[in-house]
Amino acid sequence: MNAIIFSAIWGVLMMFTGAFVQSKTLPKYLAITGAALLFLLNGIELYNGTPIFNINGMNMLAITSMNLTFLEVIFAATLLFFMLSGRDVERVGEHVSEYFALIFFVLCGVSLSSTYNTLLLLFLGIEIMSIPLYVLTGADKRNLKSNEASLKYFLMGAFSTGILLMGIAFIYGGNTNASFYIDQIHLGVGKMPVMITVGVVLLIIALSFKVSAAPFHFWTPDVYDGAPTVFTSFMSTIVKAAGFFAFIRLFKTSFGPVQGQWQNLIVFITVATMLIGNVTAVFQQSVKRMLAYSSIAQAGFMLLALFALNQTADDGIILYSAAYSLATIGIFAILIKMNDYTIEGFNGLAKQQPLLGLVATICLLSLTGIPLTAGFTSKFFMLTAAVENGHKFWVVIVAVIFAAISAYYYFRVIQAIYFKEPSSAEPVIDAERVSGSFKILLAITAILILILGIYPEILIGWAHH
Amino acid sequence: MDIKAYIALSLTLFTTGIIGVLVRRNAIIVFMCVELMLNAVNLLLVAFSKMHAVSPAAKASLTYASDAQIFVFFIMIVAAAEVSVGLAIIVMMYRNTHSIDVNFLNRLKN
Amino acid sequence: MNNVLHIVWLIPILPLIGFLINGLFRNSLSKSVAGFVGSAVILASFALSIFAFLQVKSGNTHLAHYFNLINIDALRIGFDFKIDQLSSLFLLIITGVGFLIHVYSTSYMHEEPSKDFAKYFAYLNLFVFSMLLLVMGGNYIIMFIGWEGVGLCSYLLIGFWFKNNDYTNAAKKAFIMNRIGDLGFLLAVFWLISKIGTVSYDEVFSATSLAKLSTTDITGITLLFFVGATGKSAQIPLYTWLPDAMAGPTPVSALIHAATMVTAGIYMIARSSILYSMAPVTQCVVAIVGLSTAILAATIALKQNDIKKVLAYSTVSQLGYMFLGLGVGAYTGAVFHVMTHAFFKALLFLGAGSVIHAMGGEQDMRNMGGLKKHMRITHLTFLLGCIAIAGIPPFSGFFSKDEILAAAFEASPVFWVIGVAGAMMTAFYMFRLYGMTFLGKFRGTHEQEHHLHESPAAITFPLIVLAILAVFGGFVGIPEVFVHGGHKLAEFLAPVFAQTNAYVSSHHAHEALSHNTEYILMGTSVLLALVALSYAINKFSKYQKTETASTGLAKVLENKWYVDELYDAVIVKPLRSLSAFFNNVIEKKGIDGLVNGVGKAVNYGGRQLRWIQSGQVGAYVLLMVIGMLVLFIIQFFVKNI
Repeated sequence: MNAIIFSAIWGVLMMFTGAFVQSKTLPKYLAITGAALLFLLNGIELYNGTPIFNINGMNMLAITSMNLTFLEVIFAATLLFFMLSGRDVERVGEHVSEYFALIFFVLCGVSLSSTYNTLLLLFLGIEIMSIPLYVLTGADKRNLKSNEASLKYFLMGAFSTGILLMGIAFIYGGNTNASFYIDQIHLGVGKMPVMITVGVVLLIIALSFKVSAAPFHFWTPDVYDGAPTVFTSFMSTIVKAAGFFAFIRLFKTSFGPVQGQWQNLIVFITVATMLIGNVTAVFQQSVKRMLAYSSIAQAGFMLLALFALNQTADDGIILYSAAYSLATIGIFAILIKMNDYTIEGFNGLAKQQPLLGLVATICLLSLTGIPLTAGFTSKFFMLTAAVENGHKFWVVIVAVIFAAISAYYYFRVIQAIYFKEPSSAEPVIDAERVSGSFKILLAITAILILILGIYPEILIGWAHH
Repeated sequence: MDIKAYIALSLTLFTTGIIGVLVRRNAIIVFMCVELMLNAVNLLLVAFSKMHAVSPAAKASLTYASDAQIFVFFIMIVAAAEVSVGLAIIVMMYRNTHSIDVNFLNRLKN
Repeated sequence: MNNVLHIVWLIPILPLIGFLINGLFRNSLSKSVAGFVGSAVILASFALSIFAFLQVKSGNTHLAHYFNLINIDALRIGFDFKIDQLSSLFLLIITGVGFLIHVYSTSYMHEEPSKDFAKYFAYLNLFVFSMLLLVMGGNYIIMFIGWEGVGLCSYLLIGFWFKNNDYTNAAKKAFIMNRIGDLGFLLAVFWLISKIGTVSYDEVFSATSLAKLSTTDITGITLLFFVGATGKSAQIPLYTWLPDAMAGPTPVSALIHAATMVTAGIYMIARSSILYSMAPVTQCVVAIVGLSTAILAATIALKQNDIKKVLAYSTVSQLGYMFLGLGVGAYTGAVFHVMTHAFFKALLFLGAGSVIHAMGGEQDMRNMGGLKKHMRITHLTFLLGCIAIAGIPPFSGFFSKDEILAAAFEASPVFWVIGVAGAMMTAFYMFRLYGMTFLGKFRGTHEQEHHLHESPAAITFPLIVLAILAVFGGFVGIPEVFVHGGHKLAEFLAPVFAQTNAYVSSHHAHEALSHNTEYILMGTSVLLALVALSYAINKFSKYQKTETASTGLAKVLENKWYVDELYDAVIVKPLRSLSAFFNNVIEKKGIDGLVNGVGKAVNYGGRQLRWIQSGQVGAYVLLMVIGMLVLFIIQFFVKNI
């Protein structure tokens, strides 16, 4: 509750700042303050159990420690993102405070879609999350790639909204309780009514689109590639994790008891996502685009939580969100500074910037899922959850195989960082873009990845608080 | 009238919208087709709301029956927001390329 | 000195310290310092061992628990030392003989560069440390640590001159054969843990634990332990490494491959005597394997010309006698023979080393002869050693060998007959060795003859001490028939084997041999040995080099019954071709093919899948709609993926 209201207020505040303050650096500090406050307020709510701003939500919001823990992870990641990449937001265009304001609106949407208890708020949350993103994707107004990405994202996003709404309508029509509350959907006995079944399929399609699961992932590589890199970093981590969380919560609460009736779809989507994400990533030359495909591949792993749908999966999705966000924000923060986004651009990074090379390596290792990194523990949780589910063990095997394939394209970058000589005389990264505080923050990111890799209970403990 | 008729009409509209998105290349027409899809949903929601209101099974929880009608307003509002953003994006593209063909910009691929 | 048992941990720690000093500072230590440190720590250990032995002798045994090595659930494996009669006796042998050999080495290895010299002493100290762990351990795990440690040191020391390819091959052979045995040991320990959940001697041998073991369990465990023993103590079928191990420096052969390490198997079985007594099948196997090894090795030794090879086969043969003793239940006799054997075999090896030293590295007896005149001390001590091993009374070998043979007779007269035949051969080949080396005329080059000299004091001193022990060492175990209560060793070791003896006498009616029978047995064996001995001296004191190739049985014996060739044909070659098959077919075509195939498939798939991403919104939406249709089809028409 704190998060929803405060993020909306702070977003409006940031917009006014844009209108009345000329300074170019102030918005960044304001945004960092806002994210820190969000983290704090949400933390207080998580700790105390009562919000500071309280509104009668008519039971339309489900404020549980699990949801708040997830939000806490999101805000922490946002804070880190602002601190690491805030300066790069300033470089995107002139309307710096608007960008930050839009990010706060996205956060408002994230808060809604993480705590919704009715389909209405799910829809609103997702839309509030998506619409500012269309704008952010096109923030680089003169850049045709940015234009193209924005248009594609918008058209396909609107299309998927239509699908989502159709699904909601069918669920409502088939629900004899005549309710949008996700815990009051009457599924009947035995097979679900046809209308609900159609609704479930449509919801799976729409939400798969939002989390860029195959075969509805087509927008992802183009949008992630075309959008300004800072916003790609934000989109591919925080927004994506929120999409997953919403997806899983809906299907666990409403349709968990009849999981057997729709598990086939999830199996199909999971395997297709892993296949397309991992196999296509192998061929990318641009690291940015490779990370876009890798984010599809990681989505395949997160879908295992939806496949498993048990307690371990709940813990796992929080952990995975944290691990994936940390590593991706870290690697993107470095990528933004690079002069050349291709893999060759990373050649010899370790020699010129040892710390950056090391952190990038740790991030990539975590994305691969090498032990001692957070990526390993989170993948381990996911696989455990999938095994505990007891059905279709072959999915687990497929997941492991694809995790192994993923090492191929991540390690290509590590290889470039450590074992190749720079391809041209000019530096890989302009030294003036790398400040001391940036280095410290990167080191902190890497340490966090390692801590979560060794002691994941820190995070999981909160969720059971 | 039977609810099936409303469902049929709504699905027809919805499919028309999908086909429109598929075949048209003008960004504005594509966008209008998306709006058509949303309106099909609106129609369906209102029809379902009415259906639940008269169905004996839902009498007890009649309070919810009108929720769908409120939902429709939310869809309209969101659609309006989408229109504003969408048109802005299309205008931005037109400024840069003097074209509103959705397939005109095709740099991001593979 | 009551508290000496509380500082027994110093006994193994001292050699470890010696190892660390010599190992870490090998580049800076001078030879005299390295040799002094190496010997001094062993001397200190020896002094402590004497005190510990005296304590044990006065009836104080000690079980020291230092910390828990492994502590999981119910399984608790402590770092324990058990100092009782058996281990204290072994302590004395190891540190005592060990010290003499260290002293000997300071002179023998003096021509090595000082770096290698220090390295040699570091290895030797490490060996003593491991060996002490092996015998002091209070459970099978500590024993196993020592067991592996001595195997490692043996490997390092056999291959000490690692620049020679044959030597490193010998080292590898020893290591691998030991590993095969170690696997048996390890499996036996696992079996014990799985059945009774403990490895500590006291707990394993307690009545409650033993009650938990079925006959099959005990037979299996003891057989596996015995497999371990055949590896370490060079018994059939794993004995072939020991003759090859003569590649190492001679003091190493004396210490590791004669006096101490190779007796580890005997120690282990003596330690587990109760288990073996409860497994008659295993005992029978042990006796037969021991006896076969004794006789086989003895026949091979008859025709060897390398002075160290003869001693090596003699060692294998004597170890066979010890196993025969264990197999027929004469545990005390076996331990007694370990002790006397340590004395006279170390003596013989060191004497041989002295000879080799004088001969400038020559090991072939055909090129020796007449050394009696040139090396008086070596000659005398060597002769005493030969008499001792031949079993002539009242030298030490007589008492211990006779005890084993008497016990073998009780078990089966056939054992005794074969055993005596082996003893005869022992006398023969030892005096053949003696005759060829020390008697007759010198057959080497003039240069060698010119060079002949008695070795320095550091070499002769250990020889003299060992010779005294070899002569008189047997008096601690004078049989009952001669002196009532003369078997002091049996008395001393009685507590260790009390449980076993109680078990045996409660299960088998035991009738001691009558004194007359015993006299006859002894007389026969001594007489036969004397006959063999005099025949050998007679024949080989006038030995002349002949160029004719031997034929028939002689050729077979010269080639060691072709056992190495047999192993090569039956095990090594098939294994080689199997691994070649794995390498060429399974690895290169199968696994590599599979891995590369997956890689290629991913590459190909990636290239094709890329084109789906056409960049056109219309195409994307079309694909999404197709995807939607697929999902609907799956939902409504597909039962299960």
